[in-house]
Amino acid sequence: MRNRLKVLRAERNWSQADLAGRLDVSRQSVNAIETGKYDPSLPLAFRIARVFALPIEQIFIEEEAQAQAAE
Amino acid sequence: MSCEVPEGAKEAGRRYTRGMLLAGALYIGFVALGVTVIRQMSPPQWLIIVLALLPALPALLMLRTYLTFFRALDEFQRRIQAEAALITLAIVTLAAFSYGFLEEWAGFPHVPLIWIIPAVIITWGVSAFFVRSRYK
Repeated sequence: MRNRLKVLRAERNWSQADLAGRLDVSRQSVNAIETGKYDPSLPLAFRIARVFALPIEQIFIEEEAQAQAAE
Repeated sequence: MSCEVPEGAKEAGRRYTRGMLLAGALYIGFVALGVTVIRQMSPPQWLIIVLALLPALPALLMLRTYLTFFRALDEFQRRIQAEAALITLAIVTLAAFSYGFLEEWAGFPHVPLIWIIPAVIITWGVSAFFVRSRYK
C-alpha cells in the first residue's frame, strides 16, 4: 500500500519526530509507514487520518485499486 | 513536539531497565548464595534442589519485565520484537535439537542446559537488530 504521509507532513512542515509525537508512536514507526515498509493497523490509520484531518483514502492508496482504475 | 520516542515508551524503557537491573542483581545473589552453600556447607539434597531452582525466580522477573515493556511498545516496534522472537525460537530450538544429536551420536562435548537462556538473549538481540534493519 502506498501513502502520502511524506507529502502531507512536508506541507505542514512537520518532521518525522513531530508526527510520531502527535501519533504517540516512535519515529522509526513513522519512517517505516512512510517508506511503505509497514502498513499500519486500522486504528493507527484512523489516528493518522485524524491528525491530518483527511479521510483515510486520501492518505493511503491501495495499489491494486489504483492499477484497476488506470486500466 | 520533537521527541524521538513517545513519553509513555520512555517511561516503559525506564521501568524495563529498573526491572532488568533488579533481576540481574537477584540472579547474581542467588547464584553466589547457591555456590557458597553447596561448596562450603554440604547441605541436604532438598536444599540443593531449592538453591538450584532459585535463579529461575529472577529469570521469571526478567520475563515479566520484558512482557510489560513489550505491551508498552507501539504496533510497529511490537512487530519487530515478535519477528525477532520467532526467529530466536527457530534458531535456538534447532541449534539445541541438532547439538543434542551431535552429543548423542558423534560424541560432541556436553553443553549444560543452563546456556539456553543466554543463547536466547543473545540471539534475540542479534535477530532484533537484523529485523529492524530490514524496515529502514
